[in-house]
Amino acid sequence: MTAFFWGLATFLLVNAFACLWRAWRGPTVVDRILATNVVNSKALVVLVLLGLAFERSLLLDVALVYGLLNFGITIAASRFLETGRIRGSWQS
Amino acid sequence: MDTVVDILLLAFLAVCAIAILRLRDLFAMAMMFGLFSLITAGLFTTMDAPDVAFTEAAVGAGISTILMLATLAQTARREQPVTGRSKLLPLLVVWVTGAVLIYGTVDLPAFGDPSAPVHTHVAPYYLQQSTADIGIPNVVASILASYRGYDTLGEVVVVFAAVVGVLALLGLRARPPRVVRRPVRRLDQHAVLKVIAKLVVPVILLFALYVQFHGEYSPGGGFQAGVIFAAAIILFALVFGLDEARQVIPPRVLQRLPAAGVLIFGGTGLLTMLLGGNYLDYDMLRESPQKAQQMGIIMVEIGVGVTVASVMLLIYFTFAERGRHRRPDGNGDDGPGGAAE
Repeated sequence: MTAFFWGLATFLLVNAFACLWRAWRGPTVVDRILATNVVNSKALVVLVLLGLAFERSLLLDVALVYGLLNFGITIAASRFLETGRIRGSWQS
Repeated sequence: MDTVVDILLLAFLAVCAIAILRLRDLFAMAMMFGLFSLITAGLFTTMDAPDVAFTEAAVGAGISTILMLATLAQTARREQPVTGRSKLLPLLVVWVTGAVLIYGTVDLPAFGDPSAPVHTHVAPYYLQQSTADIGIPNVVASILASYRGYDTLGEVVVVFAAVVGVLALLGLRARPPRVVRRPVRRLDQHAVLKVIAKLVVPVILLFALYVQFHGEYSPGGGFQAGVIFAAAIILFALVFGLDEARQVIPPRVLQRLPAAGVLIFGGTGLLTMLLGGNYLDYDMLRESPQKAQQMGIIMVEIGVGVTVASVMLLIYFTFAERGRHRRPDGNGDDGPGGAAE
């Protein structure tokens, strides 16, 4: 089973390079935000898989941080994209 | 398999670093830095260092991306290339420094070598004695807060000094901005976002408290908890607005909290001195040394958490507040299509 987890993690990481390419080359800002978001989710799953492979449930805590803070990054980036600023209400 | 994942992670980091160097769009660079931190945290995990991975995930990938975006909002979107200067000398300096560093790694002991100097000095003592001295499973927490308490106090003071610097440069006013009380806005815009944020923010706050007070048993502690706590408030401010966030933590209180955290840390040290021990020697706090150590660690971690959380919030608020009454200058490259290479 451990080999399966490692294989899955490897597969996800190889895929992540496609997202990295998208984040590098763009061409639009939305591509970059989405690519970051997807890599974040991938990293979360890879952490869970590593936790299963090492049999250390502590890594789930780290994965939780990814899950919770990912939301904040995406909101901050899209707010910056929409208003050019990063504060205040959306109406301003 | 371990090696394959390591190679993939390192290759990802290398591509990321080259991309950051090549890019001129600062927004894209901020996102790439976020990616870099994410993958670095994964690398720390494969090295079996969950505490460090935790910090990297919370600070590197979470807060610093948001702070970089906040900085970008104050400056321009694109980097201006420096022209008319010779690139030969900088290139030479970089190559020579790189060569010297690579030459230096030749003498380093192999990764995980048990006879390396770092594993033969005080580390075995900490690992063997931690259970008897302090009795908590997470040795990192006992080293951080008890054995190396002075170092951690120094780190907290550095964080405090950082916020003093930011405030001195950017936004220290004689009177902190007043809390504007307004009737709560209806969910007229971005209703989905606001509802989701209302669901997520309490969970993040709860998780921060778990990280803070469970740090003796699982990875975590004051530094990580403070950052996660601040991230929750920043998320709230992003979605609901700065004034609403001020009603949660008034600026008057927030400006005093970094000092309060350092005082809690330093005060614990003074308390142990008053009780007849050395500075930050927790054995005097309770009858049983183990219980005393655990109590001291919890007190110190609270100080760390308060300082870090309030410093992150203060930096974010200072950046977000700046230029608030200025009209945006309307150069039109903020639009979705304006980020071509």
